Amino acid sequence: MQVGFQGNTKNTVFDPDPRAKLAMLLAVNIIMISGGSAGVELVLRIICAALPFVLLVSVRHYRTAVIYLAAMGAAVFGESCILPHTSGIAGILVLIPCGILTRFMAGYMMCWYTVRSISVSEFVTAMEKMHVPYFITIPMSVMFRYFPTLGEEYHAVSDAMKMRQIGRTVKDPLTYIEYVLVPIMMSTVRIADELSAASLTKGLSAGGRRTHICEIKLTLADLFIIAGSAVMIVLFFVY
Amino acid sequence: MKEKFEVKELINVGVFTALYFVVVFVTCFIGMVPICMVLIPLIIPIVAGIPLMLFFSKIKRFGMFTISGVLFGLIMFLLGSYSWVIILTCVVSAFLADLVLMSGKYSSVKCCVAASSVYSLWGIGTFISLFFGFREEYLNSIVDGYGQEYVDKLASYTPAWMFFVMAAMCLVGGFIGGVLGTKVLNKHFRKAGMA
Repeated sequence: MQVGFQGNTKNTVFDPDPRAKLAMLLAVNIIMISGGSAGVELVLRIICAALPFVLLVSVRHYRTAVIYLAAMGAAVFGESCILPHTSGIAGILVLIPCGILTRFMAGYMMCWYTVRSISVSEFVTAMEKMHVPYFITIPMSVMFRYFPTLGEEYHAVSDAMKMRQIGRTVKDPLTYIEYVLVPIMMSTVRIADELSAASLTKGLSAGGRRTHICEIKLTLADLFIIAGSAVMIVLFFVY
Repeated sequence: MKEKFEVKELINVGVFTALYFVVVFVTCFIGMVPICMVLIPLIIPIVAGIPLMLFFSKIKRFGMFTISGVLFGLIMFLLGSYSWVIILTCVVSAFLADLVLMSGKYSSVKCCVAASSVYSLWGIGTFISLFFGFREEYLNSIVDGYGQEYVDKLASYTPAWMFFVMAAMCLVGGFIGGVLGTKVLNKHFRKAGMA
């Protein structure tokens, strides 16, 4: 499976501007993470929980969307129906997984969607249009590109550990951390070197104004999305 | 600061900030258990100090680490469920750590350990909402989601003096992490010429 920044926008039904996506991401994260559920807040939370589902469907990731919906439903059910009838240890056992899921999952799905659906060049162009300086833009795009790579590296490391039969048998936490972290750090150094070699061939360090092939334009729908996100955030803070 | 940053440096900033964030984040999951939440400021910098020291060995210029702090603060704010204060503490502590690094001319190992300790103070932003003027508001805001039982437990673990204990734990954790990181660097990276 391909992960990370992808330029594959032909496959989508609806493709908002990167800035609109970032606005939605911000709104969903801010609103979902606080756990309130009364009045206006409840309406906002329902909207924010539904948003990732709609967006995932719009990029044709039906399986992920359905899994998201099922997990979210289960967590909400656990929080609102099972939790009031439990107490003590059982209560905490229900509370913690459900609490994590309801608070974080929508935000993560939004992040996943945003990172997957914005290509690096789109992201850089959008950031440049927002007048973000280059010394923020470059590390940021590298960073978002690197998260999925880190996941892959981790799988490679744990596979190698399993092959040598040292996976879960390591009892000492510090040794375990060393076994996992050191190879990842090694590959991090290597990947950073490779990336800077790649950037050299792209002339990133040449200075001067860069031109872009991808076109970024705010349509009416994008403006509507941005305004909507702003209104949701304001409503959230006022109530 | 006057000269432009090289792209190689910026790429290092991006990659290592990502690594640092992931390490912090994975370690954070221990913190969902109420009692561990209090110990978390100690545990996180110890683990995260290891990649941090490798990052420090790549830094040769003032400002690089401050940028890393800005990015880390933004992403913690987005994904870490904290208030906007986290951005402030991340930036300030990264700036201070940058100053410490500069005082060691970016090569002194002692200054790197000290900087790791100073930078760990960003952790203050994660628990400041439990103290001072934010306390009542924060506790009331989570009663809704987590239930009264959890909140009472949390409140009983965190009297006001805990703030200073936790800040000290950050410093100590950062120090231990820095020392561990130095050991790891000496063991695995110096010989390979990677640090």
